[in-house]
Amino acid sequence: MKKVNEIMDRREFITAGGLVGAGAAVAGLAIVKDRSGSEAVDPTGDNTVRKLSAVTNLKPQANEDDHVRMQRELERAMAKPVEKRKWIMVIDTRRCVGCQACTIGCIAENKLPPGVVYRPVIQKELGEYPNVALHFLPRPCMQCEKPSCVPVCPVKATWKRPDGVVVVDYDKCIGCRYCLNACPYSARTSDFGRDYTIAEATGARDVKGAPIYGAPAPWEGLPSNEYGKSWDRKNHGSPVGNARKCHFCLHRLEKGILPACVTTCIGRATYFGDSRDPDSLVTELITKNNVQTLLPHWDNKPNCYYIV
Amino acid sequence: MSINSESVHAQPVQITATWTKLLWPLWVLLVAGGVFGIYLRLIHGHNMAGYGSYVPWGLWIGVYFVGVGISGGSFVLGSLGYLFGIQGFSERSELRTAIILSLAGLFPAFLGVWLDLGRMDRMMNILIHPSFTSMMAFNAWMYNIFVVVAIVSWILSFSKQNALLKPFLVLGIFLSILFPSQSGVFFEAVRTNEFWNSPLLSMLFFVSAITLGGASLLFVRAAGAARNASANQTWNLDSALRVLRTVTILGLIIYVVFEFAEFSIVFWNPGAHSPQVEFLLFGDYWLVFWGVHLIIGVFIPLLLMASKNRGLWVVASFLAVIGFGAARMCILIPGQVIPQLPGIQEAFQDPRLSFTYHITTMEYLVVLLMIAVGMAIFYIGSLLSKSIESGVSHG
Repeated sequence: MKKVNEIMDRREFITAGGLVGAGAAVAGLAIVKDRSGSEAVDPTGDNTVRKLSAVTNLKPQANEDDHVRMQRELERAMAKPVEKRKWIMVIDTRRCVGCQACTIGCIAENKLPPGVVYRPVIQKELGEYPNVALHFLPRPCMQCEKPSCVPVCPVKATWKRPDGVVVVDYDKCIGCRYCLNACPYSARTSDFGRDYTIAEATGARDVKGAPIYGAPAPWEGLPSNEYGKSWDRKNHGSPVGNARKCHFCLHRLEKGILPACVTTCIGRATYFGDSRDPDSLVTELITKNNVQTLLPHWDNKPNCYYIV
Repeated sequence: MSINSESVHAQPVQITATWTKLLWPLWVLLVAGGVFGIYLRLIHGHNMAGYGSYVPWGLWIGVYFVGVGISGGSFVLGSLGYLFGIQGFSERSELRTAIILSLAGLFPAFLGVWLDLGRMDRMMNILIHPSFTSMMAFNAWMYNIFVVVAIVSWILSFSKQNALLKPFLVLGIFLSILFPSQSGVFFEAVRTNEFWNSPLLSMLFFVSAITLGGASLLFVRAAGAARNASANQTWNLDSALRVLRTVTILGLIIYVVFEFAEFSIVFWNPGAHSPQVEFLLFGDYWLVFWGVHLIIGVFIPLLLMASKNRGLWVVASFLAVIGFGAARMCILIPGQVIPQLPGIQEAFQDPRLSFTYHITTMEYLVVLLMIAVGMAIFYIGSLLSKSIESGVSHG
């Protein structure tokens, strides 16, 4: 074994120190730069203002239907720049009947393939026979204030918009599934490229009673309109291979339409709106009721509230 | 380019005729199985794999971290041994063996993680548009810089007088200490996972990397030793084996001590992550933990290495590598199988929406190819080293 002064001469030592030091400095700068989050991704300001008029022919009335009110408030919010809105969802668990219409409505709206779900409804049985009750918990994306899924993305394919919605850029996502592991709500699912078949839709079975797996149903080829674009999954096109999640139906909001889960809820259990609007229904609901968020100990600060 | 005189005398690792007879059919079998696995992966996508959306990572990611450990550990040990002039490591050919093993560990790891991507066509995005808030991007850059440093060091090692070799080795050591440790941070950074969010993980990964490096270097140097070696070469090799054996023994013990520190506390003060530990120690994963990781991967290697028989050390080092494969799965899988929202799996049923994970045949077959690629890189690298050495010495 060599003595310490035989390991390297002075010149080699300085070069080694320089290489290691320069490497460490560059790495540190890269981390600080990306942590500072200075890059603006989304447009803001007047370009994001939308003049919508779906309910202008309806005069505001006292005690009007919640959906009409939310529609009116949606248009009011869209008339502001995006950075002045903050979308939240409120779910009244007392009203949810577990019909799963929101789950199916979301699947139909976003053309979700098998294994991809944005809004499952968790069912919980409480009590002991004969005193039992079923409780239901719809679980959309929480659109967290401090989303744990965003910083783990290695390619900047997911971020939080100024209006609070956490989005995924299907053209950037590499499908590493790190974000799936980082979400404590399991709100992200991966599109593994499968399609529903006609047989699955009709429940057709073969002579042995097994489901028939055949060619994709024709409607599976229809593009989805998520994020206001046309996504064609044929030939391994995005979002096949990508992480997918609920986005509060941003493409519908842009057209002045409430999210699909809100409009399909038969129990009027799901509310949606702008929490920066002090007169909005959602603001009223979260300030006047006992609301809770899921897994608050993670400090993700979800923007989906539950009335219990 | 002139060659250092010590390199002329020392032989690089040579695959002996006996081993060639065994290795070639084995390698062909691995390739045949692996190619079929790749075929299944490319034709059926991820649909023949056991992972899904709730358990997003499976065997390939576990093997990937084994490859990263072998890579970092063998470079650290080979380079430190060379720099400090430790007998059995102080010759250039011995340094080159460690560097080649390091690359042979890393490239199969890349293959595994590439096949795991949902969009394999966008692999380069991680280098072109990285977000360094993610440990995955940071790791990817670190690996690639390390590959360049390792290859440059290998090339410089053929040059007799080169003032850059040692500085590059120091940089390589710095990187190869960091990137296996960062593999632990890769999991620690998931702050919403009680099981992974432990500062001890980076230490566990670092210790396992050094141990993996020691065990795998011991394996290739002992198993690939030339039969017609001179007395000096034999003495050097034996010295190296003794050092690597000590490193492996110490590494195995330290790893188990750290592991005990990590898991034992949940029995005294059951906390939030006890369901994962229950799953690991007494649930579905008990056989992987107690059987493959601890008995096959730690206790049997320690027993075998307690003997003076070098042949048993080779067997022990092989088992230790297998055991660390299980150890990786013991970190990877329990961290994914416990839902944080009970009832989420039943809420919408699909084979890809399950909190259970069973490795499928397709996944095993792909791992065979990863092993075959690693073997091929080591073999070709060793031949190339030998060829350049003899070319330079006769030139």
